[in-house]
Amino acid sequence: MNLTSYLALAAILFCIGLYGVITKRNAVMVLFSIELMLNAVNINLVAFAKYGMVPNISGQVFTLFTIAIAAAEAAVGIAILLALYRNKGTAEADKYNSMKG
Amino acid sequence: MQQVTEIDWDILAPELIIMIACALLVILDLVLPSMISRRWIGLFSLVAVVTAGVWIVTQFGHSPVALLENTYRLTPVTLIWKLILLSGTFLVLLISLGEDQEEFAPNSGEYYYLLLAAVLGGMFMVSSADLITLYVGLELFSLSSYVLVGIRKRRGDSNEAAWKYVVLGGMSSAFILYGMSFLYGLSGSTNLANIQQYIVKAQGTYDWIIYLSFFLMIVGFGFKLASAPFHTWVPDVYQGAATPITSFLSVVSKSLAFALLFIMIGVFDGIDEGWESIFLPTLMIMAALSMIIGNTAALRQKNMKRLMAYSSIAQAGYILIPIATLNKLYFPSTFFYLFVYLFMTIGAFAVIMLVMRQEKNEDMKAFAGLHQRSPWLALAMTIFLISLAGIPLTAGFFGKMLIIMGALGMEHLWLIVIMVITTIVSYYYYFSIIRQMYFRKANTTRRIRTSWPIGIAISMSAIATIGFGVFPEWILNLVESLLFK
Repeated sequence: MNLTSYLALAAILFCIGLYGVITKRNAVMVLFSIELMLNAVNINLVAFAKYGMVPNISGQVFTLFTIAIAAAEAAVGIAILLALYRNKGTAEADKYNSMKG
Repeated sequence: MQQVTEIDWDILAPELIIMIACALLVILDLVLPSMISRRWIGLFSLVAVVTAGVWIVTQFGHSPVALLENTYRLTPVTLIWKLILLSGTFLVLLISLGEDQEEFAPNSGEYYYLLLAAVLGGMFMVSSADLITLYVGLELFSLSSYVLVGIRKRRGDSNEAAWKYVVLGGMSSAFILYGMSFLYGLSGSTNLANIQQYIVKAQGTYDWIIYLSFFLMIVGFGFKLASAPFHTWVPDVYQGAATPITSFLSVVSKSLAFALLFIMIGVFDGIDEGWESIFLPTLMIMAALSMIIGNTAALRQKNMKRLMAYSSIAQAGYILIPIATLNKLYFPSTFFYLFVYLFMTIGAFAVIMLVMRQEKNEDMKAFAGLHQRSPWLALAMTIFLISLAGIPLTAGFFGKMLIIMGALGMEHLWLIVIMVITTIVSYYYYFSIIRQMYFRKANTTRRIRTSWPIGIAISMSAIATIGFGVFPEWILNLVESLLFK
């Protein structure tokens, strides 16, 4: 296993996440897809920290920060989704279209 | 740059003031009985923002230093950014204090300390010298502003705006972070100065990584800047958020995104190949698209907040021009325009908020006959609008002139032509509001109720908009004395 395979895995994961954010109709799946994108970054960082051109620890430290922040972001996203679900009674993301102009 | 190993509390004081105020207010909100009005929390946060701002003014002329293992730096540029952020927050706090309390959740204390948390993240971000600090600061700002957009949790449109903002904001953070991970991979360091050196060395052999990371980050920045073609979230979020938050997003969040762009441009600066032929043209195309799409889409808007949203997309395009052409007037013209944009935008939003609150109507027709009802308010709104349109004697005119003068020196004529044409197009929608105020009959003769904080905010913004138009050298001298000493 060399660096390229890890980078390819991260790239594929990132693209799946992006595809999910754009096409998924269920709002929870949209949040999952954002997490996929952020985890792709983590794979990238850890791979660079181990097999990169200048291997060192700071990539893994960066990963700890991104994991923590991604968790906070998911919490905020779910909280907003709950409030939205109470108001609209649906978790279908394409029903959230009351504003037009 | 001088390295400081022990923590110098003096240098970090503005951030510490905001942080302590934020933590104190969280506890106060918890222990205070619920009968006590949460306006006190708002007043306290206003005091904290003013104190931090005054402290930053005393730091003017401080020699550049790096703190905390070289992850935090104090330079003249970071001081200017923080001044912009804090002045924007100050005005937003003033107009929030004047807003009807029922507009927000019953206990609106959280509104104020989230605002402080957001500005704290912004202040850390502008003075970061490390990818990790940069990212944490940016996310502290973003997460607080997601909640702020959705703070009216019983209203469907507010929730929907927050949902759109959190999804697209999260996606843009992922793009920025993915770009950053490649920069780390290239240099093996998260320090911005180290990364810059490695990029210069790596060009030629690892060009594709440099380009990839640049374009990934540009997608993310495009979202945060609210510039076309990444602008689709802007009208919905601006419409759904409470008006003070809309002005916060359009001023403070945009300034912060520009600060981020400045920092990253500093990182990519050493590249000779691709800089002139790929990076700058990308920014120019974004600027041109923002001006065209923003100004033409605003023409058919009847909802005032959506109109201001498209107007702010167009303004992002104007401010991108000095950065995209990287001319001699790059620093002064960007800072001048951002300062002026701050006052005229928040002023306009404050008037819109007052009119909308009384009329219970977001339509442009709510402004009909404002001149007969509240002449001073109509006059202030006229000043803000003609400044946004860029008519002489206002600060907006001088800002646009600086941008055009800078771009002329670099021979990017097509960009200037687009700017002038779209500015003329923008006269149509700005003047249609003025037409409503002066040449349409009012439905009622009731005056618009104002309160003192909003009165102060509107008069400060109006005075600044006219004052910086007549004496633009005040800001320019300040920026110059800070930067070129």
